Amino acid sequence: MLELSRALLEGLWTVFKHLFKKPVTLEYPEKRREMNNVFRGKLEVSGCVGCGICQKVCPSGAITFKKDEYGKVYFYKFDLKKCIFCGNCAFYCPKGAIKMTKYYELACEKSEELELVYKGGCDD
Amino acid sequence: MTITTLKLNLGPQHPSTHGVLRLLLELDGEKILSCEPDVGYLHRGMEKMAEKMSYIQYLPTVDRIDYLAGFFYSELLCRIIENATGIELPDKVRAIRVMLLELNRISSHLLWVGAFLMDLGAVSPFFYAFREREMILRFFEKLTGQRMMYNYFVFGGVRKDIEYLDDVNEIISVLPEKINDYEKIITENPIFLRRTEKKGVLEAGKAINYAITGVNLRASGIDYDYRNQDSLYKGFDFRTIVLEGKDAWARYKVRIMEMRESINIIKQALDYLKKAKPLEQHLIPPVNLKLPEGDYTAQIEAPRGLACCFVRSDGTDKPCRLKWRTGSYYSVNLLRELLVGEYLNDAIAVAGSLDIILPEVDK
Repeated sequence: MLELSRALLEGLWTVFKHLFKKPVTLEYPEKRREMNNVFRGKLEVSGCVGCGICQKVCPSGAITFKKDEYGKVYFYKFDLKKCIFCGNCAFYCPKGAIKMTKYYELACEKSEELELVYKGGCDD
Repeated sequence: MTITTLKLNLGPQHPSTHGVLRLLLELDGEKILSCEPDVGYLHRGMEKMAEKMSYIQYLPTVDRIDYLAGFFYSELLCRIIENATGIELPDKVRAIRVMLLELNRISSHLLWVGAFLMDLGAVSPFFYAFREREMILRFFEKLTGQRMMYNYFVFGGVRKDIEYLDDVNEIISVLPEKINDYEKIITENPIFLRRTEKKGVLEAGKAINYAITGVNLRASGIDYDYRNQDSLYKGFDFRTIVLEGKDAWARYKVRIMEMRESINIIKQALDYLKKAKPLEQHLIPPVNLKLPEGDYTAQIEAPRGLACCFVRSDGTDKPCRLKWRTGSYYSVNLLRELLVGEYLNDAIAVAGSLDIILPEVDK
């Protein structure tokens, strides 16, 4: 019995000590945690050459890429509603054109705001 | 006088069923007469999905099979591709992978400790366990870019060289002390002992019949740990934790002791990585990676038992058939026998002690 109450008191004392420690949580949304540079958040594209590899490696079919009938102008759409933020497109992009930003709060009023549509011209 | 029994649905929305497990219990008073586990509420078709995706597309999705131990499943798929294409891993990559796998094992066990105690009604350890787990997840986030869906291992290596080794150093210096704290609060607590001792007794023979692996098997007194045969862990010195208790308390104790052992492994990997040269790798695997025709399997000791992957390739860039074997699936099956004769109050304690995670069961 003595042994059992010793164990109980020791446990309670360990819990009690925590009362005097600083809280480890942040009160979101008043305070936000700073994300580091490699964080995989919202996509950003610049300097695309239209090779279409990102579409091939995307696991969730979030990227649609097509060329016009003359093969000169291409369109691509990143659908962030489907995106699983795996970072495959950024990793396999041969030009490093796709970047993943720190931005992760993606709630918005219109679903179109989550579709990134780009248009570009092919060199060849 | 006629005796009527009560049929009770435990779950699938019960907070202590770790996801969406439904247990159909037949009760006589408070005593459980039979238990029928019902799974499939979280089925995402991970195996069928693979048949329509290339290996490179499939790799990020396997983290989601067990969201608490994503590295293990990535490692498994990478291992299959590496074995099939004959890629030899450099020692540094091996050390990086071992270190991350063991950190992941600790984070998974920490969550289990917290959630199990929460099931039993103790709230404080849940927050303490999450606080320590957060340290590990912050390190993973810094390294890989995300907290749970890492997608860091690639076929033949890792996405980028290891960084932030000081963080790992801090984690392994802080953790042993924190685990001591948990033990002070939990291990000999009389209430905890009453709830777990002699509850859910799993005899060694039954465990083998039900194909139980991992911690649950080792807590039944059987010395089996796949890490001992694993070539990835070659050169690392560690003990296999085996206890004879067979009950829920023994399963708790094995997990706690395993965390300490994992810290040992991480220390060894860290010592190697501190001295190792920067990684030289040109790792952009071909987008149309094709496997030679044939059947391939690979195994790994995941936190919830032996995980195994089978791939049948027909020579194209997509698997012809892919199958996962996960530890939790067999533990769920075991509840059919383990809960019979226990009281309803203990059902959650017993089910919780097996460390079931439903995404892994339903796949």
